[in-house]
Amino acid sequence: MNRNKTNAVFKPLLLTALLAASAGLSAQAATLVFGNNGEPVSLESGNITDGISILVQHQIYDTLVHFKDGTTTTIPGLATSWKANADATSWTFNLRKGVKFQDGTPFNADAVVFNWQRFFDPKNQYGYRDQGRTYEIVGQLLGGFKGEKGAVIKDIVKVNDSTVRFDLNMPSSVLPDVVGAGYFGIASPTAIRKDGAKYGTPNSTPVGTGPFSFVSWKTGDRVTLKANTAYWGTKPKVDTLVIRSIKDASQRLNELKAGTIDFTADLSPDSLKDVTGDKTLAAVRKPSFNVGFLSLNNNNQYLKNDKVRQAISMAINKKAIVDAFWNGLGVSSTSFLPPVLSWANSKTVPADYKYDPAAAKKMLTDAGYANGISLDLWYMPVSRPYFPNPKPIAEAMAADLSAIGIKVNLKTEDWAKYLEDRNKEPGFDMYMIGWTGDYGDPDNFYAAYYGPNAADDINFKSPELNTLLDQGRAAVGQAAKAKIYSQIQDITYKANYRLPIVHSQPLAARRTYVQGWVPSPLGSEAFNKVSVIGKK
Amino acid sequence: MAAYIFRRLLRTLLVMVGISVVVFAFVRSIPGDPAVAMLGERATPEASARLREQLGLNQPWFINFKDPAHLFNAQYPKYVGALLQGDLGNGIKSQIPVASELKNRFPATVELALGAIIFALLIGLPAGIIAALRRNTVWDNLATTVSLVGVSMPVFWLGLLLSWFFAVVLGWLPPSSRLGIGYTIVPITGLDVLDGLLRGQFAAAWDALRHLILPSIALGTIPMAITARITRNSLLEVLGQDYVRTARAKGLSPRSVTLKHALRNALLPVVTVVGLQMGALLGGAVLTETIFSWPGLGSWLYDAISLRDYPVIQGGVIFAALVVSLVNLLVDLSYAFLDPRIQYA
Repeated sequence: MNRNKTNAVFKPLLLTALLAASAGLSAQAATLVFGNNGEPVSLESGNITDGISILVQHQIYDTLVHFKDGTTTTIPGLATSWKANADATSWTFNLRKGVKFQDGTPFNADAVVFNWQRFFDPKNQYGYRDQGRTYEIVGQLLGGFKGEKGAVIKDIVKVNDSTVRFDLNMPSSVLPDVVGAGYFGIASPTAIRKDGAKYGTPNSTPVGTGPFSFVSWKTGDRVTLKANTAYWGTKPKVDTLVIRSIKDASQRLNELKAGTIDFTADLSPDSLKDVTGDKTLAAVRKPSFNVGFLSLNNNNQYLKNDKVRQAISMAINKKAIVDAFWNGLGVSSTSFLPPVLSWANSKTVPADYKYDPAAAKKMLTDAGYANGISLDLWYMPVSRPYFPNPKPIAEAMAADLSAIGIKVNLKTEDWAKYLEDRNKEPGFDMYMIGWTGDYGDPDNFYAAYYGPNAADDINFKSPELNTLLDQGRAAVGQAAKAKIYSQIQDITYKANYRLPIVHSQPLAARRTYVQGWVPSPLGSEAFNKVSVIGKK
Repeated sequence: MAAYIFRRLLRTLLVMVGISVVVFAFVRSIPGDPAVAMLGERATPEASARLREQLGLNQPWFINFKDPAHLFNAQYPKYVGALLQGDLGNGIKSQIPVASELKNRFPATVELALGAIIFALLIGLPAGIIAALRRNTVWDNLATTVSLVGVSMPVFWLGLLLSWFFAVVLGWLPPSSRLGIGYTIVPITGLDVLDGLLRGQFAAAWDALRHLILPSIALGTIPMAITARITRNSLLEVLGQDYVRTARAKGLSPRSVTLKHALRNALLPVVTVVGLQMGALLGGAVLTETIFSWPGLGSWLYDAISLRDYPVIQGGVIFAALVVSLVNLLVDLSYAFLDPRIQYA
């Protein structure tokens, strides 16, 4: 056999073998493994309040409104467009056509109305409230349930197969942001009817329109999902997505380093050096969308004095504290709003509190307390992204305050009791707490801690503030909103009842082969754009 | 013997009834409201009150005096009524049936407890025997030091250290979890290693065993140290007794004296201690399960306590109490096996 003949025979064979091998490679099932910081509470949309559940649900369900990658800017989701009437008391959503749930049933206006009615109508038969369902997030974000005083939504009606309308009891410009929040995924009505009251538990099959379909939920261990190849948006880049429950942050880092998970979030800020020092890993700084703050109680005889509160605001070296405890993964400012919402900040309020212990001491003397005062400072017994390590942070603040003559008694207690006791009169003198946003509007931050009755813990009442909050919720357009929220910041800054300490950037990390992951500030990104090319 | 077992089981039943009342009242007496715990940072007084009402937590505990026509329209009678039908209720927030979670999680706890006890016995017993037989030698000192370190080592720290060294540095074992991605074992007993073998899935069984090693060492270190110390002390005591001297005087080999005569008697207190530890381990190991993402009872109950999830706490505690009672019964029965002089009537 001459050389040409040999080539003629072997070249096609070689080519075929190479093609077969590459086909084999591409056909190899790609699995993406995420290390979640705990277990989802439920896979039933509308009936959760926690970020861990949101992250899992967002793979299975879509919401009507989505958010642009890595931002809080609304973009079309299951609704392609939406429009309010002139006074924002009615919102009409045009729905995406041709979308199917993972069980093959059609997504349409009936499905949207079915889901939202069960969320907000206490009498809805598919809400299963007699069997323990509560949907309290609706009460939280939308003022109450159907028929209740203060409820934002009056009714949800089908206009036609691809149009629904939310009729409101009061103007609200933030409704699209709220319905886009990760809590409110649209589930298949057929699946809910089939599974009944067990829908959302591990013994059921949650069905949405999202990029991944439910396979199994092994409690305490993992949720396994598979790619929804019929997804209407960007098709998933992997075949299987496994979301593991790994509560301990150090262990999540161990898992990542060992290569048994591909990416994870909510690592301790202390881990930054460890992550950046490992060539196989890449640190991912999640956008900041939280605030950790110190609340000062107006019921306390000293703290009701404006000068004492102002002295405290000047005595705490916030920048030093943030630098020391957040490892560069946080910023301090005067604003209750995270940097992404800084468009709503006042132009007249300084960027940060002035750290001036001498002036603070003088202010305390001017208040009539030259010999100092004694106050309790309560710190949280749990770790949160906004206060990952509350005790040493409290100790640092206590040291700063003692330097101006305020003797601080550090206190803590069980978390459930902490949350309860802060609201029991007279409440805590000073206490640490925080907030992580649900949607990208200043209302979600201010209303949570300055809304009607939301500042009872510190006995701070301001009718002017409440009026402005109502106006802010109704205002349409960023310019109109900015005008109102800048006034709100003027008031809250001068009041000095809640001193923002930090807006932290939760630390996440990935193996270097993980590409396409853009974490959402809202913690609700789908993983359909994430790939693991080169994973061994 | 049968009559004894029957009496013990009857007593266990009475203990369970007592525990159900105590746990029911106790969990409601501890400060901290489930509604507030569920709402977290969102817990304003209004939101908490609304959720409390929705969850039925405003109902009276035992008897509804406000409505004489429905005296038993209260939380405990409803709970017991459901309990008698085998319904332990659902998780207050997750709505996951407590009974199904117990069924899912208990085998994981049993597997880990067995792994820990096997580790404790494999290391602790020989160490204790060697320490007793080589008293005041370097071996005795080594065993005593190791057991002291074992007892003193915080499980949390040891777990992370083991995971880091064996998984990250050496890459020999997985850092946590119960089974690797890609393996599925359909349960028979619920013990993954055993089920993998029974189903002929040897690769999966091997993977499950590799996942079991580090948490077993972390959880078994303290029982290992205790076992070593108890074995040493007990064996030393027995070796000093007259009948052992008599056995030696009769010309029996040291091996026969130690293994047949002394060790069997010395094991009685060891069995008691190991039994007590096994009972405690079967109630769940919070720290080890948390560190190793082990889906057992301990971390589940701990979370339930943090959230004041009453049905889960009640169901979990009653179940754990039942298991401990039954293990104690087995330990008592094992005495008769180890020491024929003991008889139960």
